[in-house]
Amino acid sequence: MIEFRNVTKIYADRTAALKDINLTIKKGEFVFIVGPSGSGKSTLIKLLIREIPVTNGAIYVAGRNICNLKTSRVPQLRRNIGSVFQDFKLLPNKTVFENVAFALEVIGRPAYVIKLQVPQVLKLVGLEHKMSSYPHQISAGEQQRVSIARAFVNRPPILLADEPTGNLDPVTSEGIMKLLSRINLIGTTVAMATHDKNIVNSMRRRVVELEEGELIRDQKRGVYGI
Amino acid sequence: MFRPRYFFGETFTGMRRNFLMFFTAITTVAITLFIVGFFLIVVYDIQGILTSIKSQVEVAVYLRDNITDELKTYLESEIKGWDEVAEITYVSKEQALEKFRKENEGSEILKEVQGNPLPASFELELKSPEKVEQIALRFLDKDGNFIEGVDEVIYGQNYVQKLFQITAITGSIAFLIIIMLLLATVVLIFNTIRLSIHARRKEIEVMKLVGATNWFVRIPFIFEGFFEGFIGSLISVVLLYFMANYLLIRGEKAIADTMHVKELAILGSNSVILYIYAGLIVLGGLIGIFSSTFALKRYIKI
Repeated sequence: MIEFRNVTKIYADRTAALKDINLTIKKGEFVFIVGPSGSGKSTLIKLLIREIPVTNGAIYVAGRNICNLKTSRVPQLRRNIGSVFQDFKLLPNKTVFENVAFALEVIGRPAYVIKLQVPQVLKLVGLEHKMSSYPHQISAGEQQRVSIARAFVNRPPILLADEPTGNLDPVTSEGIMKLLSRINLIGTTVAMATHDKNIVNSMRRRVVELEEGELIRDQKRGVYGI
Repeated sequence: MFRPRYFFGETFTGMRRNFLMFFTAITTVAITLFIVGFFLIVVYDIQGILTSIKSQVEVAVYLRDNITDELKTYLESEIKGWDEVAEITYVSKEQALEKFRKENEGSEILKEVQGNPLPASFELELKSPEKVEQIALRFLDKDGNFIEGVDEVIYGQNYVQKLFQITAITGSIAFLIIIMLLLATVVLIFNTIRLSIHARRKEIEVMKLVGATNWFVRIPFIFEGFFEGFIGSLISVVLLYFMANYLLIRGEKAIADTMHVKELAILGSNSVILYIYAGLIVLGGLIGIFSSTFALKRYIKI
């Protein structure tokens, strides 16, 4: 589903964020990308949604090299990859329902699809009773659920999460992880960047470790540290 | 995939939710374009006054008393053939004296006048007053003397040249000021719209991340920019209309009565004022569209 071939990313200020990365993620896998801050986790995710361009190498998503994708084809790529962020990126002046519906509206889905799919996905994340609340009226954990609902409402085959539990307490984080596991069980490929040791250790999923931009470990049922 | 309901919906929701920014943008457009419009009217009137003064420039060709009728007729037909001359009037010695008497009625000078010391003359009205000097020069021969039968040629030598200089200078100053005003207007409106887009950069980021195409993001903002420019310029035109018809028009009436100026912005027979109004509205709409398009460039690049 996802393949990195000799991927190198050097930023404009000449710092190398990723060095010659080779990595394959199969369809339906759940992968943790771990490593300390600045190891290149976020860069990896940003490359996948073409938020930034690669310096060298190739990235294949569903068999297609996304590095030479035309700008006009990038939206198509992003519609197939749901993204979840540490800071949720919810729009404060839209309700929970509107925030999720927004993701469907901007890709041109008709109103009846929106009316059908938004309540469904909000039920999946357990927020069907807070549809008309505004983001500031709900807790941080609930906000992250909304952002997961928004990422998943379009049923993308891939879900990327960049430190989704970074701003949450352990109990709330656990809930978020259960939700991501459920989404993974439906058949969605999930890649999650994190430096939360407890979560990685309790889940026992594939672990890919980065250090200063280099891939130093790839374990099938790994833990955070060796 | 044009979906008017979504785009108009987004545009109006955007405007309602960011009412303060929307209001600021409209006010900025209204005030700046009002100043531009006001200045255009004033400049047009000044140019009208100057043109009217220029068209009153005349050349008087005084003839010698001993000129023969043949020479006089020859000169008249010759001058009539010149392209620059709009009209030629012959003023005889008697007519000149009559005129002089009328102009100085009741004055002591008349008692001093014995016989008729006044010369006959041709009075020339010109099509292009700028060429007055060349025309005057035609009455000189190679040696710099007046040609036969002509005593003197008078056209307000110094005054005319200065007048033309002044019109040229005021014209270019007005042009410069209008350009600068327009530039300031564009920059001010652009900045206001940019701020209102900056306030919604998160929205743009989210749109781009969930896979909205660039045009899908752009269109509501362009609509909004257009509405801001259009409504703002409409307000400026309404303000200008009332000011023109209740205040400026009095000034123009005074000018028209005392100086016989025909080309005035509001009173004039041509519809300059309508062109100014239409121009401001078109300008407002265009500035709105271009400002939002250019301001978006930075935020849409995700």
